[in-house]
Amino acid sequence: MRLKIVVVLILLVLSTTISTANPGGKGDDVRSRDCAGSCHASSSSNGISTAILDIHFPDEVYAGLLIEVQTSVGEVEVSSTNMVGLALLINSDGAKDLPANEGWEIITDPNGGTNNYVEISDSFSSQNTVNRSWTLRAPSEPGIYELYLAVQHGTPEGGVAMSGISEINTVFVEEVPENLPRLADDWKPTNVRGIGEETTITIETINAESITVELMNGAEIVTIPVEDNQFIIPASVNPGIVQWRVILEGEGPTQTSPWFRLTAQEPGWEIDETALYLQGIAMFLLFAGLVLMRRPAGEDIVKNYDNTADISVEITPAQSVEVVSNSTETEDAISSPPLPEDGLPAGWTMEQWEYYGQEHLEKISRGEI
Amino acid sequence: MISSGTLHVISTELTVGMFALSGVAFLLCLLQKGPISREAVAHWALLGGLLATPLAIFTGINASPGDGLDNPLLANKMLLSMTSAGLAIGVLVRRKRGGDVDSRHAGIGMVSVALMLTTAGMGGEYSRSETLLFFVPKDTVFLFPIWASVILIILGLAILGKSAIEHRS
Repeated sequence: MRLKIVVVLILLVLSTTISTANPGGKGDDVRSRDCAGSCHASSSSNGISTAILDIHFPDEVYAGLLIEVQTSVGEVEVSSTNMVGLALLINSDGAKDLPANEGWEIITDPNGGTNNYVEISDSFSSQNTVNRSWTLRAPSEPGIYELYLAVQHGTPEGGVAMSGISEINTVFVEEVPENLPRLADDWKPTNVRGIGEETTITIETINAESITVELMNGAEIVTIPVEDNQFIIPASVNPGIVQWRVILEGEGPTQTSPWFRLTAQEPGWEIDETALYLQGIAMFLLFAGLVLMRRPAGEDIVKNYDNTADISVEITPAQSVEVVSNSTETEDAISSPPLPEDGLPAGWTMEQWEYYGQEHLEKISRGEI
Repeated sequence: MISSGTLHVISTELTVGMFALSGVAFLLCLLQKGPISREAVAHWALLGGLLATPLAIFTGINASPGDGLDNPLLANKMLLSMTSAGLAIGVLVRRKRGGDVDSRHAGIGMVSVALMLTTAGMGGEYSRSETLLFFVPKDTVFLFPIWASVILIILGLAILGKSAIEHRS
């Protein structure tokens, strides 16, 4: 028997496959830099990525205003899922490295969310460079800031987690000119919408006398009419991204916003939560009840042959005690209290007496019965 | 500071470990092999796992990136865990009332453990897209209409009430 169990356990262990951790990714999130296992695992299970990483900033970055940042990942071989995790960070220490710590705000990440870590699947290869755009709000305080691009990915052979981080990328954040036409400080673009929904967007501006909105339609750029600072982006029939930007004119220099990305998504999975919770409660109660209703397999047999009451009637009280005391040699009666003179109480089984007999005797002694 | 994700891993390890220990002990009960303490281990470990389960659920909800039950796996996890918890409570209460640890009792205990471990395995499918449980339904949820669930709740309460009365009598 032991040999069979050992064989089964060995087969189970051998049936497992060796793979890198999280082959399906970890999901977009706000994350610090990942050590890719180098903190705890052996050096054979992790490595340094050979990816060429870069961050490209616009020529002018004003404090508190929106900017578009381009990141690129090139010359890297990844796992068969073609997935790479990208993270925008403010240092390479692996701690206190979130962009928000220095006042950066992620308005739109490459996947349409607001995370500093995103996972993207694309044609990564040693001959290819993959670019992604991020829309950020610059820190409200002018100064010199640093940003890093970190990556993590698998390898074509599997089994090794690769991580890498770019060189330091410095950006000078300038004071906003006094009369600069710009988007309002607290204005944020809409990132996501459902398929088949028109999207009405209201622009809030400062120092702007005229607003022009441009929509990228394939390789062509079309102008959308704006009325009362509002414009409509037509509905999308398929999941995908449309990009638009706003050109603001006023007394100061004309400003062109970053390309904002509006992602059309299929409706998410939904369920009637009330029905689900009720079914969960029903399952809980039903199965608990069914288990409690189950009678012991041999209960009927025990009842048929349980003649303890007859014996106790035929023998004297002293014998009864003696019989019971003799039975202490058996394991079953170790905890069984002595039977009363007139045998088991009406309706009791011996099994019930073993567990509740003592309590019954105590009640009799207290005069409660 | 510890994130919900990390706390969920800790609480899940606790829950799964307890249930796994209970499952092995129930297996020994079923086979009538091993030390006599197997019965106590099976039931106490099951109780420990049950107590740790709510912590795993709450941290799991907080660690989940979406809002609410937005994935069929999460719905199936909930139904499976509730079924498992019902079986486990039934097994524990039945034992407390003096029920024998026969083969069927041990078998039900193992089913409860298996359902809870399946639930945990589905968490791996949800968060990392990898699992050994290839049969787990990923897109399908067997959901009763509300009236059917209400009938089942009434039926469950009636069965529980009846078993309680029979136990007292």
